Amino acid sequence: MTETGQGGPALELVGLVKEFRGRRVVHDLSLTVPRGSLFGLVGPNGAGKTTTLSMATGLLRPTSGTARVLGIDVWADPAAAKAVMGVAPDGMRLFEQLSGRELLRYVGALRRMPRDVIAERADELLGILDLAADASTVVADYSAGMTKKIGLAAALIHAPRLLVLDEPFEAVDPVSGQAIRTILRRYVATGGTVVMSSHVMELVEGLCDRVAVFAAGRVLATDTVPALTMGGTLHDRFLDLVGAREVAGDGLDWLGASPEA
Amino acid sequence: MTALVVRLRFRMWWTAMSRSSLHLASSVLGALGALGTVLILGPGIALLAARPVELTSLTVPLFAFATLMWVVLSLVAAGVDNVLDPARFAVLPLPAPRLARGLLAAACTGIPAVMLALLALAQVVAWAGHPVAVPAAAVAAVLGTLTAVLGSRAVTSGLARVMTSRGGRVVGAAVVSLATLLPLVLNLVLTTGSVGLDPATFDARGSARIASWTPVGWAWALPFDVATGDWGAAVAHLLLAVGLLAVLWRGWVAQLEKVLTSPMTSGGGQRIGAGRLLPAVLGHSPVASVAARRIRAWYRDSRLVAIALRTAVLPVFFVAQAMFTGTSELAGVGVVTLGIFAGLTLMNDLAFDGPAWWLHVATGLRGWEDRAGRALASTVVFGPVVLLTFVVAVALGVITAPVPWLAVVLAAFFASLGLAVGVGAYLPGTAPRTGGNPFAATSGGAAQGCLTALVSFVGPVVLVLPVVVGVAVTSGRPVGQLVVLALGTGYGLTLLLAGIVVGGRRLDRRAPEMLGQLAQAQM
Repeated sequence: MTETGQGGPALELVGLVKEFRGRRVVHDLSLTVPRGSLFGLVGPNGAGKTTTLSMATGLLRPTSGTARVLGIDVWADPAAAKAVMGVAPDGMRLFEQLSGRELLRYVGALRRMPRDVIAERADELLGILDLAADASTVVADYSAGMTKKIGLAAALIHAPRLLVLDEPFEAVDPVSGQAIRTILRRYVATGGTVVMSSHVMELVEGLCDRVAVFAAGRVLATDTVPALTMGGTLHDRFLDLVGAREVAGDGLDWLGASPEA
Repeated sequence: MTALVVRLRFRMWWTAMSRSSLHLASSVLGALGALGTVLILGPGIALLAARPVELTSLTVPLFAFATLMWVVLSLVAAGVDNVLDPARFAVLPLPAPRLARGLLAAACTGIPAVMLALLALAQVVAWAGHPVAVPAAAVAAVLGTLTAVLGSRAVTSGLARVMTSRGGRVVGAAVVSLATLLPLVLNLVLTTGSVGLDPATFDARGSARIASWTPVGWAWALPFDVATGDWGAAVAHLLLAVGLLAVLWRGWVAQLEKVLTSPMTSGGGQRIGAGRLLPAVLGHSPVASVAARRIRAWYRDSRLVAIALRTAVLPVFFVAQAMFTGTSELAGVGVVTLGIFAGLTLMNDLAFDGPAWWLHVATGLRGWEDRAGRALASTVVFGPVVLLTFVVAVALGVITAPVPWLAVVLAAFFASLGLAVGVGAYLPGTAPRTGGNPFAATSGGAAQGCLTALVSFVGPVVLVLPVVVGVAVTSGRPVGQLVVLALGTGYGLTLLLAGIVVGGRRLDRRAPEMLGQLAQAQM
């Protein structure tokens, strides 16, 4: 716990390897996320972003390698590491029989927060994320965007020092998206650290201050956004690094509004 | 189209079996069990051919009863094979009737349906003594088998849809409880129709006549009508049987149409109250929060409502049977069974959470808190039910020795809870999909099914044995019985504690691996 006080990276991955039935999907991956940064992970489908984030947050055991959160080894002391971070995975279901408010209270209770603090923060989060009107609706009846937002609220409620978000803006409407951006910026300004993955280059470029490009289970490049893009757009730099494939010209000729035969 | 769906079903079956040896083993065992049933019952039914019509008529009440049990069991115990969940066809341009034909054909290729069809063939042979009735028996076999298969589909899918709303769950509860009592009623009606069990004077024609005028007996009555020369009744039964099939078919197709056009509804805009009662009673610790969530699920989640009904209703059946037959042991065994079933419902509790369980992992909840919370929830939900059934059975006078039976009941309930929270942390089992058909079969063909079933059947019996021995030894000594009651309860609670500790340690050590298993636990 001594290292958690000052300095040191917020998240440090060293030599992470993950194999599924002998097939290696994450290759000896190392990554350092400095404190107080808004860190974006970008990469094509199947690049290993979600797998890496799951290993960093204690949800998937790595085949080898270490993950440290604020100096705490996630796999040696999972409880301590989980106490200081908030996680919102992508595509994982929530307890759908609970209402939005009940879900937040449930997470707060599991994290042993005082009852009045839970109630106060839950109402504030529901208000800011525009979920107040649906606070008593069960999560099963939420839309995809609303589910995303309530998942984010559940990750925020205990005021974590590191926030790990997988695709936090997917299916979220522009108004709520702006609210989330404001929340994240303010959170980072007050000393928090955010690690988020996304497919949307423009979003990462505009929001994050550092970025890592993933492909095929490896980190191809990691730097501050200006240093990585070197004046160009992240979009072009990403396609450069990953190696864009030309689609136009060959194949799929049958796809289109051809006259009825 | 029909052939395509049937092939798809076999394809999925084959993939499931080739991926898991447990799945393969449980399928083989299921097939052997069905084969054994056919080999024992089939010749018995076919040999009725050598008997006079008084005995051959037995096929009518027998198959009417089988048809009724088929539908009731699909609601109460076994569930329907949901490998081909109709919701998965929603994006394809398929009209419901065409899909329904395919799904029906696929349902008829299942092991239980093949078993019923073979027994129905034996029924045709049984009428060989009356050549004129044989074609009628063949028609009856087809119509009757279809009625059973289609009936279970129509009833379960209709009820599943009704139970997505809160009011509907109450309706579903009433329907399922009443349906369970139906076979009992039919049983009573039929036994009053026959005179004695002496083969020389036995005459099944009375009960056959009664059974023939129940919806489940219409089809099976055809050969009986023809053999006894009652052509008017034969025509009426034929029309009624075909009409029933048409109604069931229309009902099922209508359900399919709804599933295909709105696959994802769960009642819509389900709002709930403030929920202040449970926290006020249980407190705010993590254990209490887990318990409160599971208690809420027991009445909000139609999958769990279905399980709770099956659990509560079957032993009531025992007690009712004990009252009719006057055997006290049957009632006691019924309450003990209820205690065991109630405890074992926790066995696949993790599967009901499914991938959503990540929240417990990510918040760093300790394994023992997860286990203890679930055990507390099941005690709050089922404890009163078990005790109430026991008190009612004692008040009705069907349990004559309350103290020894109470010792066994309490020990059985807590020991089963302990077994379930312990084993459940190793074998999470499977559950119907969240928001899916609550009557989908989950145990039959599932991986781990064999092992879990073995543990569930043998485990409680072995664990309760010491208390039963204690009861037997202290028989007739009131003080000794009270000591056994105290010791038995303490013994059960100790086993529960052991289950919580063992299961909790396992979850602490292997939480990420369990999460991986749970990703595939819902079907």
